[in-house]
Amino acid sequence: MSLIYVAKRFGVFLLIVWLAATLNFFLPKLSGQDPVESKLMQEASLGGYVHAGIEDMAKEYQHKFGLDKPLWQQYLSYLADVSHGNLNFSIANYPRTVAGMIRDALPWTIGLLGLTTLFSFAAGTLLGALLAWPGAPRWMRFIMPPLWALHAIPFFLLGLVLMYVFAFQVPVLPIFGGYSAGASTGFTLTFVLDILRHAVLPALSIVLVSIGGWALAMRGMMVTTMGEDYVTFAEAKGLRSATIFARYCVRNAILPQTTGLALALGQILSGAVLVEVVFGYPGIGALLFQAIEENDFFLIQGVVFTVIVALGFATFLLDVLYPWLDPRISYRRT
Amino acid sequence: MTSSGLRAGRRDVIKGGAALAAATMLPAGVARADLAPIPRDKTMTLIGINSRDGRWVDYELWNPYAIGANHQNGPNLIYEPLAYYSAFADKMYMWLAESFEFTPDFKQLTIKTRPGIKWSDGTPFSAEDVAYTFNSLRDLGPKVKWGVDVHQALDEATATDPNTAVLKFKIPSPRFFFFATYKYDIGIYMVPKHIFDGQDWTSFKHFDTAKGWPVTTGPWKVVESSLQQKVFDRRDTWWAAEQKLAPMPQILRNIWLPFVGEQESAQALITNQVDFGGSLQPATFPTVIQKNPKIITHAGQKPPWGYVDWWPISLYVNNDVAPFSDREVRWALSHYIDRQQLIQVAYLGASSVSSLPMPPYKPLLPYFDAVKDLLAKYNTLEFSPKKGDSLLSAKGFKKRGGMWEGPDGKPFELAIIGTGAAGNAMGPVLSQMLKRHGIAASLSLPPDFDSRFQKGEYVGSIYGHGGSIREPYDTMRLYQGKSIAVPGAHLVNFSRWKNAQFDKLVDEVYVTDPKNVAKLKDLFRAAMEIWLPDLPDIQLVQNYHRIPMNTTRWQNWPTAENPYINGASWHLTYNLVLWNVQAAQA
Repeated sequence: MSLIYVAKRFGVFLLIVWLAATLNFFLPKLSGQDPVESKLMQEASLGGYVHAGIEDMAKEYQHKFGLDKPLWQQYLSYLADVSHGNLNFSIANYPRTVAGMIRDALPWTIGLLGLTTLFSFAAGTLLGALLAWPGAPRWMRFIMPPLWALHAIPFFLLGLVLMYVFAFQVPVLPIFGGYSAGASTGFTLTFVLDILRHAVLPALSIVLVSIGGWALAMRGMMVTTMGEDYVTFAEAKGLRSATIFARYCVRNAILPQTTGLALALGQILSGAVLVEVVFGYPGIGALLFQAIEENDFFLIQGVVFTVIVALGFATFLLDVLYPWLDPRISYRRT
Repeated sequence: MTSSGLRAGRRDVIKGGAALAAATMLPAGVARADLAPIPRDKTMTLIGINSRDGRWVDYELWNPYAIGANHQNGPNLIYEPLAYYSAFADKMYMWLAESFEFTPDFKQLTIKTRPGIKWSDGTPFSAEDVAYTFNSLRDLGPKVKWGVDVHQALDEATATDPNTAVLKFKIPSPRFFFFATYKYDIGIYMVPKHIFDGQDWTSFKHFDTAKGWPVTTGPWKVVESSLQQKVFDRRDTWWAAEQKLAPMPQILRNIWLPFVGEQESAQALITNQVDFGGSLQPATFPTVIQKNPKIITHAGQKPPWGYVDWWPISLYVNNDVAPFSDREVRWALSHYIDRQQLIQVAYLGASSVSSLPMPPYKPLLPYFDAVKDLLAKYNTLEFSPKKGDSLLSAKGFKKRGGMWEGPDGKPFELAIIGTGAAGNAMGPVLSQMLKRHGIAASLSLPPDFDSRFQKGEYVGSIYGHGGSIREPYDTMRLYQGKSIAVPGAHLVNFSRWKNAQFDKLVDEVYVTDPKNVAKLKDLFRAAMEIWLPDLPDIQLVQNYHRIPMNTTRWQNWPTAENPYINGASWHLTYNLVLWNVQAAQA
């Protein structure tokens, strides 16, 4: 792979980020709502009482956030800010910064969705491969139908069922939250186990739903791969069944899955919003949901920009790594 | 490679992987607090109402004047007031202030603060803090909450000695002390001058547990504040307990959890994981109480499952928009509404009607009595479709295909906007009810409701009245179109109703001593003689706070039998609840 190729791919990555960031800037503004005024009016009527002078207050903060400037100036400021990694203040939660809010939410999402995505990818891929393999144990055939059925259920719906069963009827797991009320927070085994215990139900709802999808896709690829000439040739050579399975079939069938994994990993930042909402899990999906509810331009832009960069970077990384994963692919000019 | 070496390598990999996974799972923002162990039966765990989607987004904001901060989410425990007022007990509790006195013209207020009060960092609390708070609000004006209210009244506040603050006003301000007093969501938070001076109030967070921030005079210190929980431990040196003004709370730790959802709250209450659970819908209570008989509400274990809030709800119609500018049309709408059916369907019977835009609290009952005959004549609760039909017919409206058309032949439409629990519960029922009587009503719950409603960019709206709780001025002020008594006053007037005579009466009430009930009654009656025939907005129902309280670990919650205060944890008076609750097993 040449350096020029990497540079080109990186250029495309930057172009995608810029285009998406531009859309990200203009789309929330199409609603025509004034987030500062909305927030202040909401605050003003807090508990029913109406504070005086909200229009004056709104003007003060529009000036502070630069929202009183012409749109093109706002756009240039936005581009300058994001290029320096400055995501501004949250309008609805001033003086909290968007970067700070994302920093708070990101570890929860990466912890929950990152691990569940990797786990369901690994388990689903292996299951799918074994399902297509004639030598797999018979009992495996009975595992898949329920997993495929679960795949058709939305994450949050399964989450509600799991919550009812394991947190209410048989209360072995916590109902909601990231850790127990009153827990001493710190890097201790007790606290880590507490966090993991709280992650079980949301993680299970994601894993049980997504594992069937990975398995289904892998099984299809395996069936195609098993019909290839090189597999027949390997069998004719008398290679061990396990070698043919792992090195000839799985290794080739897994390539499209890898693409799917890279995209899925990029998408974890946008998260399983409703799972986070149902379990009160303070991840980035719920943060975006909240930002949209409050029409908090800067927070929406910050979260979406982070997602765009993550997705763009995942795609870029995949482009760069693919030739190593699949030697048949080469970007050299012929 | 030896087999033992291989085993060791695998272990290393597993350990490393586990550590990496754990590190990923441990959010950086939570690795900070080492809480002292406190038994569960000395801990009070509650679910807050204002958290968003299971998180406290404002966990760093302990300066209640910061624009994103909200006193409902914990600062209400930290900043003590000059005084508390309980509308249920009709009682003023002088607090940081020992007494106050106005000059006869209400242009000067002298506040005496209590001696012997210290901030949690050891600095004495004094009249300097009071004067600094008020002067800062005056100077900051529109930049912070309450700034404009203080700016339009206050000329200068001076601390004449460590326990005396003198406030001079630009205009007579007979209600200024009551305005600063904590009740419901209204009141001025007294801040420590030695911490706030020199800070930008709009962005100062006042949060650093290592430094002992937020500094407080109250019985609680913040020991942990994160997305997941706000934890307050009891301070064992609290001036009010030392001065025998209040008992030292029996609760040693308060844990405030974010609200996740109705179902999650109900399950946590049933399983005794929480002691005080936000606010629930009427349909949820029977199940919760059946599963956990230790759960009570202000009304006991029966409907309406709560208490009347200060916020009676109306159907507002924009008086600037035809045909709603016509009072006969407004009365016709009122006659088409069957309020009992509305309560039955929207709240499963767990509510009550509201005849005037203020709650029937004890101190307000004399004012209800003063207009009893007027209410008999102008019955704001009467359901009489026939009267509605005849009023519309007399105005030239005609029915075609069961639906009304205006004199111009256009359909009689009413686009209603709503928000929050009231909009969700009543909106669909109300719009359907009006449709049945021939009005093309529709409902939407827009995210920018507050902005549209307050700017008058609406036709119909379901909303409440944050008005009076002790005397009628605050409710009358909600309908004032113009004020001479308060120059430059920012007016509310959601209904866009205008009446110069009514405005004058409100101004007259403004300068009247709130203790002069006889005069206030006369003025209120005179105002209602104008207001009732015009019916600027259509009265619907009372607003209820339906709060579940768990008696498994804590008792003496405020109830109808023991109404020492309204029980909302989000109100500024929640500290009174925390001093009064007692351990169930002493």
